[in-house]
Amino acid sequence: MSTVRSYSNPIPILAIVLVALAVHGPLLLMQLPSGSFDANFHMFFASHYAHHWFNPWNEKWFGGFSQTTYPPLTHQWIALLSNVAGLKMAYMLVQLIAVLLLPVGVFRFARIWVDDRAASYAALGSIFLGSLAFLVYQAGQLATVSSVALYLNALPYFYEWMTEARGKSLIKGIAISLAAAAAHHVTLIFGVVLFAGPVLWVALLDARDERVSGSVSGVLSRAVVFAVAVGAGVGLVLLPYWLAIIQHPIHQIPIPHDSRANFLLNSTTAVNYFVIPYGALILALPFILFRGAASSRLRPLLIGFWLTLIFGLGGTTPLPRWLLGRAFEILTFERFTFWATLLAMPILGTLAIELLDRFQSKAAVALSLAAVSTVGAALWWLNANPFRPTATTNVQPVIAFLNRDGHDAYRYITLGFGSELSKVSIYTSAGSVDGDYNSARLLPEMTHYGSAQLTNAKFYGSAGMASLRAMLEHANRYGLKYIFVHDTYYEPLLTFVGYRKIETFGSGEITAWSKDDVPPAHKIESDAIPPPWQGLLWGILPIGVSFLAIFLELLLPERRRVPAAAGVPVRAENPERHFVA
Amino acid sequence: MKFILPISLVVATAALMVLGLFIGGQARGTVGIAAGSAVYTPKADNAEQALKNLLADVQRRNWDRALAAVSKSSATDKESFIQEWTGSNGSLRSFSALEGFESRPLHITPDEAQIRVRLHWATPVGPLEDVRDFRLIREGDVWKTVLPKIQVPNVPAQVIPVTYLRWDLVSGGAADEWGSRNVDAPHVRIISMNAVDSAEGAVVMGEIVNEDTVPAFVNVNATLVDSAGSAIDDETSFDKINHVLLPKQVSPYRIDFPNISLKNVKSVRMDEKATLVPASADPVIGVMNQKIESDVQGKSVLHGDLFNQSGQTVNISHVIVSFYDNNAKVIWVADGYEDHALLPQSSEPFAVEIPKSVAPKVQNFHVVVDQYSLGRS
Repeated sequence: MSTVRSYSNPIPILAIVLVALAVHGPLLLMQLPSGSFDANFHMFFASHYAHHWFNPWNEKWFGGFSQTTYPPLTHQWIALLSNVAGLKMAYMLVQLIAVLLLPVGVFRFARIWVDDRAASYAALGSIFLGSLAFLVYQAGQLATVSSVALYLNALPYFYEWMTEARGKSLIKGIAISLAAAAAHHVTLIFGVVLFAGPVLWVALLDARDERVSGSVSGVLSRAVVFAVAVGAGVGLVLLPYWLAIIQHPIHQIPIPHDSRANFLLNSTTAVNYFVIPYGALILALPFILFRGAASSRLRPLLIGFWLTLIFGLGGTTPLPRWLLGRAFEILTFERFTFWATLLAMPILGTLAIELLDRFQSKAAVALSLAAVSTVGAALWWLNANPFRPTATTNVQPVIAFLNRDGHDAYRYITLGFGSELSKVSIYTSAGSVDGDYNSARLLPEMTHYGSAQLTNAKFYGSAGMASLRAMLEHANRYGLKYIFVHDTYYEPLLTFVGYRKIETFGSGEITAWSKDDVPPAHKIESDAIPPPWQGLLWGILPIGVSFLAIFLELLLPERRRVPAAAGVPVRAENPERHFVA
Repeated sequence: MKFILPISLVVATAALMVLGLFIGGQARGTVGIAAGSAVYTPKADNAEQALKNLLADVQRRNWDRALAAVSKSSATDKESFIQEWTGSNGSLRSFSALEGFESRPLHITPDEAQIRVRLHWATPVGPLEDVRDFRLIREGDVWKTVLPKIQVPNVPAQVIPVTYLRWDLVSGGAADEWGSRNVDAPHVRIISMNAVDSAEGAVVMGEIVNEDTVPAFVNVNATLVDSAGSAIDDETSFDKINHVLLPKQVSPYRIDFPNISLKNVKSVRMDEKATLVPASADPVIGVMNQKIESDVQGKSVLHGDLFNQSGQTVNISHVIVSFYDNNAKVIWVADGYEDHALLPQSSEPFAVEIPKSVAPKVQNFHVVVDQYSLGRS
């Protein structure tokens, strides 16, 4: 096969998956995400499921909280795999599965908009996205990546069901959508507008222009059927979550997050949340705009991309604040940038094949360099950015201290530990009043001040220190006897409020502080404890829908697709003619 | 549509970004991180804007840009400028971050301005405020800040003989972490207690003495009880007490009950806890030149100087004052943290504000100083 000819064929999806495995497999086997912001949080949740599958009430954080406040699918899969691979490797395996599913999803999603060849290049490009590397290796957003990978795989079924009324597509689409919701609810909620919206729109266009067999009314009615079925399913699968959120809506004082900042006022934030996630994709933005606008079929995708891009800019524009209201202060916006890059991939796929058609090997080299430099920059940024998680600390002495001599009869907090707090929590039997999941907090000392974890209190300025002071004021109430300090910043406060240094670990890297008059911790009564039936539901349905989705994919294989929408990518100069049946 | 839509999207994006600069303000970010530079900074074409730009750069620790906003006529250099804002010698300021500021012009002419700024600092011991007056002058079409010469304390080389008392504690067993449980607790006593209503809620205050011959770690708890005998709330003295008392030493204490009125309180149950701890009389901090004065805003303030008589640096000093009426009853307890370190054999001024309702009744006061020294906790 000549070079030119090899570029003119779609890349086999298996080859794309193998490339994804080759790029991300070694990084995940090296456990690169273990230093990310959220990896330990996910492992902490998974650890609880591993020990208490049907009891989502976890007393290790916040004096007790319900894990039904976070969709459990990825955590439960980690818990299952941890029995054979250990907790950390199980996390990496689940993350790897999500990373491998993503290009498959991008390929299938892109085929709604462009031909197989462009879709295959879109899928290949998605492996090298800076935003993917950012989320996997820096942010540790396992659930977001897993959910969107599943969701992208569900959307083609949604399109097929709307346009072809295929029952198999309906069933599989619903099952995978429910699995996506069980992985991350926020992705599904926003995905309805940002991903499914353009798909519905293009299905209507295809029906109107008779590119597909269904009528406009048929497409609309089938979309309603799909939406109602998925809505009902999500309501049931995540019922304990909805009940928890209704019982305790998030009324906390907003916690600042840099993804909500105005990037024009802060260059580091702009680099972190825009330049690194987009990488070389920034150079393609003009093409995405003009090519997306040139074709009526691509316009819904372009609009969806633009809206998601604007959301990803956080507080740089007022639009997200206007549209989201109070939710703006609760959400973080780096995930929108990830979604925006995914939405851009089909159009980017057409750019890739046009360049390859015109410049062959030179284009291949340039595109390869662009892709590798994008993912490379994101990996370099892991160590270069000032927001990076603190370097890994040896927390074993802290765990050992808490697990000996009855120290676990009291509660503890860590200061200056960053995400290592979760690691301590996983392996100690003692409880903490702190925790690394803001939405589950109910203690007033945590919710009234506009700061997140106590362990990171100083990064939230006066609000953070006020929250810490409030907690220390009530140390006796909560049995908060032990404090582990990994940052001398906190030592003056501890000294003045009556804590004394009692032990030093790791050549002074960590110090243990104690207050002598603190009584042993007692159980904190809460109305947030889920009843047993919710625990049962939580332990069965989310993992159940994921098994169902797998079985359906195996039992009801997809028939070989005959490209219907496009044989060649949409051309700017004759956008409509290409699609006329 | 081929051109209209992309151009519309580009224009809409640009318009939204411009709007974002003026609407909604700047989202609060995390502090303590070098946060980069602003892509857009308003020109310093008026005095207030010039000062805002300077302080914004100080907040982000962009020292070169901040210094560019300082007039060349200022008697300061980069090193002392940075030290002024970031502190030194492990002082409270060196742990602090400038979190915000509010400016108010005092006097403005076409070429010169005097602006008063209230600086909000985030510190390890809680938020602190600092009021400073800045002078600005017009240089061409921009305004620049004139900074006075910054006095960097300089301690001469010397030998300080140390003759302080120190109590060590030999732990009775491995189970003892700190404080000794296999000897009797030191004898401490609450010598006065007064409960009052304040704007923020009920306040219980007084003094506690260590009557023993060994040092004690003390904590005072108070429980408010209603007429039915039920506890309304219980709180502790937290940082409004000197927790380590040497023999015969007296400390004020204050316990706050936010949002609770004494109208609903039948009685107050006091509970003092004492534990034997190792302690040292060093560093000795003298309190000098104490006097109550009114400041420029008309508030009553207790001024004085803290003098470090020892040979070691005291990084953070905490002043706790009990104020008495003419019956020698404690009518208020106030405290304050010093943001400058106390170098050996040197002094630093302190100021503690007295509430307006209390100030006329104050006849006397007693100052104690708690301290934090790096590596000696």
